[in-house]
Amino acid sequence: MTDDCIPMSRRTLLTGAAALALATAAPGAARAQGGPIRLGTLTPLTGAGGSYGPSMRRAMEWVASEVNAAGGVLGRKVELASEDDQTNPEAAVRAARKLIDVDKVAAIMGTWASAVTTAVAPLCWESKTFLTTVSGSDTITQLPHQGYLVRTQPNTHLQIGKLGEFLLSLKVKRVFVLGAQTPFAVPSQKRLGEVLSAGGSELIGGLVYDKDKTTFRSEIDQALKARPDMIYLNGYTPDTTVLMKELYKVGYTAGKVAQGYAVNQKLLDSLPAEVTDGTYTATPSPAVDSAGYKRLAKFLGTADLDPYSCQCHDHISLVLLSIARARGEATGTAIRDNIRKISQGNGIKVDSAVDGLKLIAQGKDINYEGASGPCDFTEIGDIVDCKIRFDRAEKTKLKQIAIL
Amino acid sequence: MIEVLQLLINGLVAGTILAVPAIGFTAIYAVLRFPNFTVASHATIGAFAGYVANTAFGFPAWAAVAVAFVVTGAAGVVNDEIVLKPLRPAGALTAAIAAVALTIVLENVIRFVWGNDLRGYDLPIRRDWQWAGIRVGPQQVENLAIAIAAMGALFLFLAFTRTGKAMRAVADNPMLAGIKGIDADRVARLVNFVGMGLAGVGGMLLGLDTSIDPLTGFRVILSVFAAAVVGGLGSIPGAVVGALTIGVAEELSLLSLAPAYKTAVGFAAILVVLTLRPRGLLGERAF
Repeated sequence: MTDDCIPMSRRTLLTGAAALALATAAPGAARAQGGPIRLGTLTPLTGAGGSYGPSMRRAMEWVASEVNAAGGVLGRKVELASEDDQTNPEAAVRAARKLIDVDKVAAIMGTWASAVTTAVAPLCWESKTFLTTVSGSDTITQLPHQGYLVRTQPNTHLQIGKLGEFLLSLKVKRVFVLGAQTPFAVPSQKRLGEVLSAGGSELIGGLVYDKDKTTFRSEIDQALKARPDMIYLNGYTPDTTVLMKELYKVGYTAGKVAQGYAVNQKLLDSLPAEVTDGTYTATPSPAVDSAGYKRLAKFLGTADLDPYSCQCHDHISLVLLSIARARGEATGTAIRDNIRKISQGNGIKVDSAVDGLKLIAQGKDINYEGASGPCDFTEIGDIVDCKIRFDRAEKTKLKQIAIL
Repeated sequence: MIEVLQLLINGLVAGTILAVPAIGFTAIYAVLRFPNFTVASHATIGAFAGYVANTAFGFPAWAAVAVAFVVTGAAGVVNDEIVLKPLRPAGALTAAIAAVALTIVLENVIRFVWGNDLRGYDLPIRRDWQWAGIRVGPQQVENLAIAIAAMGALFLFLAFTRTGKAMRAVADNPMLAGIKGIDADRVARLVNFVGMGLAGVGGMLLGLDTSIDPLTGFRVILSVFAAAVVGGLGSIPGAVVGALTIGVAEELSLLSLAPAYKTAVGFAAILVVLTLRPRGLLGERAF
């Protein structure tokens, strides 16, 4: 191995110095008033969430282009800076720093994995940048975020509570949890235990695994030793794929249940039917009958939207309406102080940012209800209620069996 | 007792999956003397080449594995020729960093063509064989067989063929080999073809057990690197021993630790091995 250092030529040095001088001399990219409104999207374009991120980003870009086509927010154009969080906290922090420090965005929208949101949130509240997320872990809204965070995804407590009710309705008695190492792994196991024992069933055990492993045979052996009649696969798609294959190989025939983001259509397409048949899934249900949902579905060219694209559609709509309500003040603090004034209360119900902006310009109060649901937030930024849809996989297709 | 035996088998299974790309990685290191991290993206290329052969052309698994070997080997030669070869004279560190960059580029080329979605081979999933409470998957036995066959073929090639001997000569002393008239470029191309071909086979075997996406290879590269280091960087049997050691150590740790700590156990094994035997379990000799 050599340890030569690369010599830097005078030209390289001069070019670098000139670039630096230009960069520092450039005027502040975005001011709070006047000029375009700059917002950031931070979605998982790659990694475990990679099948959702691109569509989440497109949903936000679409809302921005609709608003711009209708004249912008109080005459100001909306500009999006988009970054990839790679479903990886470390990459997400770098991307968020760029959005905050270089692009000077007022809000970052669309973080997906709970670990990513947990890592990015402190940067946001410290720089007074607003953060909207689709992550579910209970711990996220318990962070000291000073109001600079809301989420449209039901939290673990709400989701797992309904999952527990659903499992009780199936009359299962012995449930085991195989959870990927995530911020929600332990809280969801605890919550499920509470709901099951209150209903006369039992959580007979659970383990947390490292989701980047290529085989989980020993983990499965541990689970089967407890003789469960239902296994809750609480991971992401890549690891859940491996677990489902291995459960099939070992001859496990009792029940399986997973979150809808893990056992999604892509997973069902990549595995044979005999491996996936009978698996139950739980998915926060978007407002499928709303006009917002239908318009977004038409734009994205699918009748069956994933919940995250719907939620991201609502993120940017809520942020833009909050800025309008703050008379065009495009800052994280203005969004924080106004988001509940346009998302809940007795104002006129609207389901699109464009309609809402017109009403706000006329001085009217509005109550935004989006493609993902009513978008009403608690003090700490959780949504008040959400419906959960339960499906069952049959011949590599999901069939709805209940909404709780 | 049965539990320990089952964990041991599971560890060997996990180890054999790592062994094939680890052989490729260490073979390239033996000759070219830099850690070629593009093994990660080449494993992914192999997985996708096998996928196309299997789903678009209906090849059975063994034929798809052969396609994965050839396609990835060729890709390895081309990528090395265009990107890494010009940078190698600048030192092993430069080449290693360029390899990390190249692997990210290649991963994104795959993403550009196939997207991020998970894909699975069009092959039936077979149930495990079970005897007396012990279970083994047919797929795992085949993986083990392929790993042993790959290692055996490489061993025979290096030991008994003229080209193999030339490769060893370059690995031992490139300057002396040059004086003797061995064409180092040709040897480099050959080792890239074989090494990356094996990485491709490893990626496809990985995909048979899991599913494939652009990150298939990237997820295992740290473990592959660890296996090669534990066994002795540059030693081909060492790569196999290292992979099996890491696999078994990780699984046996479940007797007293929670599964979430598995990866830490693998890396603790590296610390122990490198502290006691800095050159790895089997040293640095190519074979």
